[in-house]
Amino acid sequence: MAEMAVPRLTRLLGIVTHLEEHGEATFDELAQHFGVTAETIKRDIDTLWCAGLPGYGMTDLLDFDGFAYDDGIARLTNSQGVRQVRLAPAEAMALMGALAAMIASGTAPEAATGALAALSAAVTDANPVTVIRAAPVNPGVVEALRAGIEQKRAVAVTYVDAQDRRTSRVIEPHRLVTVDGLGYVECYCRRAGDYRTLRLDRIEVAGRTDDSATALPRAASGFTLEPAYSATVRVARAGRWAFEDLPGAVLAVDGDDVVATFGVANPDVVVARLLAVAPSLGSVEPASLRERLGEAARAVLAAG
Amino acid sequence: MPASDAAERLLNLIIALSHARGRMTRAEIRATVSGYDAERGGDTAERARRRTSAFERMFERDKEDLRRIGIPLKTVVDATHGDDIGYVIDAGEASMPPIDMTPVERAILAVAAEYWQNAALGMDARRAFVKISSSMPRAEEVPLHLAARSTEGSDAAPAIAQAIADGQAVAFTYTSAASGRGERTVEPWRLVVRGGRLYLLGRDRDRGEARTYRLSRIEGAIRPVGERAAFEPPDEVEVLALEGEVPTLVARVGLRAESGHALRRRASFVSTAGEWDVFDVPFSDTEALRDEILSLGGAARVLEPEDLATAVRTHAEAALAIAGAEGGGRG
Repeated sequence: MAEMAVPRLTRLLGIVTHLEEHGEATFDELAQHFGVTAETIKRDIDTLWCAGLPGYGMTDLLDFDGFAYDDGIARLTNSQGVRQVRLAPAEAMALMGALAAMIASGTAPEAATGALAALSAAVTDANPVTVIRAAPVNPGVVEALRAGIEQKRAVAVTYVDAQDRRTSRVIEPHRLVTVDGLGYVECYCRRAGDYRTLRLDRIEVAGRTDDSATALPRAASGFTLEPAYSATVRVARAGRWAFEDLPGAVLAVDGDDVVATFGVANPDVVVARLLAVAPSLGSVEPASLRERLGEAARAVLAAG
Repeated sequence: MPASDAAERLLNLIIALSHARGRMTRAEIRATVSGYDAERGGDTAERARRRTSAFERMFERDKEDLRRIGIPLKTVVDATHGDDIGYVIDAGEASMPPIDMTPVERAILAVAAEYWQNAALGMDARRAFVKISSSMPRAEEVPLHLAARSTEGSDAAPAIAQAIADGQAVAFTYTSAASGRGERTVEPWRLVVRGGRLYLLGRDRDRGEARTYRLSRIEGAIRPVGERAAFEPPDEVEVLALEGEVPTLVARVGLRAESGHALRRRASFVSTAGEWDVFDVPFSDTEALRDEILSLGGAARVLEPEDLATAVRTHAEAALAIAGAEGGGRG
């Protein structure tokens, strides 16, 4: 499929601006800078070379040095005044919102604040997006984890999991990730003997160790929790909120009910949601999930 | 026509309108800008009409594309040319101001540009990154050990961001728990991101009040309504409703040993009673605390207030009824 016009146009303007500001560059260098292949850059140069002012005579067109082009070098000799354009409101919102979400989640290094300030300065309209911190993260914890990642050392942490169990573990941190506005650390957990993704706001304490990391980071990005099975829940409309943000959730409206189908990665998380909307529930499938729900409900009643 | 030609045509249109002395009418654009299907002699009337309407559609789409990347075409009506509308681009106003950013800051932006999994928001973020990168020097890649993903996102967000900038009202179909499915007309003020969720804050014209909308509950397209610059958002938009209120109530809760750590951290210790540690927990939202107690699955018991204890019990009993039901639930 041919590339869409708008992203390509944005890169065409970018290439001209970049060459104007920084002089000639090889196709490979431009490819790396703009995150595309050298073949794409070559096609872009071909397109730019044919563009220009109405009339489209020799002096009306954007121009490149033909000998340099044959050597795989873009040397711009006439830009016809073409410049990159400022951020559109939706573009500013999308990038600033993402950056602010990373900062709020606690994963972004200090330099992110500078990047956000530089972006704000380049935007004429007021920034249309506000980001609210969802869960406070202890900056000392993040600092210790980041040091562990950079020095390839194990870090000792105290972690409170989603079922409120507190554990002390030694982890080998690999990467900080922001998923849906929350901060996590991808790590190898020596206690579990496996790779884990831990929520930063649930790490109470993190301290350095002198132990070198032994496990390599996983090649694939590890922060998509693999659903073990699929569940289907019928719930009155008032209860739909409990399911709409579960991973892979598909919601279908059926009369006054909503039928939600979603992947169950962690049954305890799903059971907590089911309890929260229990009076609105119509049905729960499969039976194994119903059993977990029943056990939890009995435990609550026994305690109360 | 392949899309690659569309980029070339748009580029030619930008160059033509940036350099035009005065303005260019649609007829001038069609006749002189490369990529448009100029009028030709020898066409039958029917064929000429078809080609004209094809040009009109293409030009409207191009105007919309240019607006999307931040180059609004200005319309100029010249009295000496009758009512014929002409177009110009203010090249100075449209161009990217200089950006002062370090390679590390740019590397963080590269991660942010990949945040949105939603197609519309993702494309906007990546375009913004390309624009920021354009004038920056080339540099070695900076390893950050950092990544970001958002599974929520909404096709409605870019259109709302544009409407906020334009000061233009929007209409959309919305489903809420309280009032069901219906049409809303809203003066958009701000987008709010909390956790993974996107919200719109604005004034509901039919209700005459400020309201919050979750973008994932908007169905279909955002339709701009009425004139641009039709309203001014308030100077200080209240986002407190989303941040959670200040706790004013206190619940007395028993927690089993080594459990309820999240509650313990914000509660004050009262006493130990048998196997239960008793805490006072400040709260504002009964439903939120009820759900938290439920999620502890028997490691917590509510001593006070009674309405909270009843709510916990009611939910557990309802869950038990569903869990024990034949065939998974009610008919």
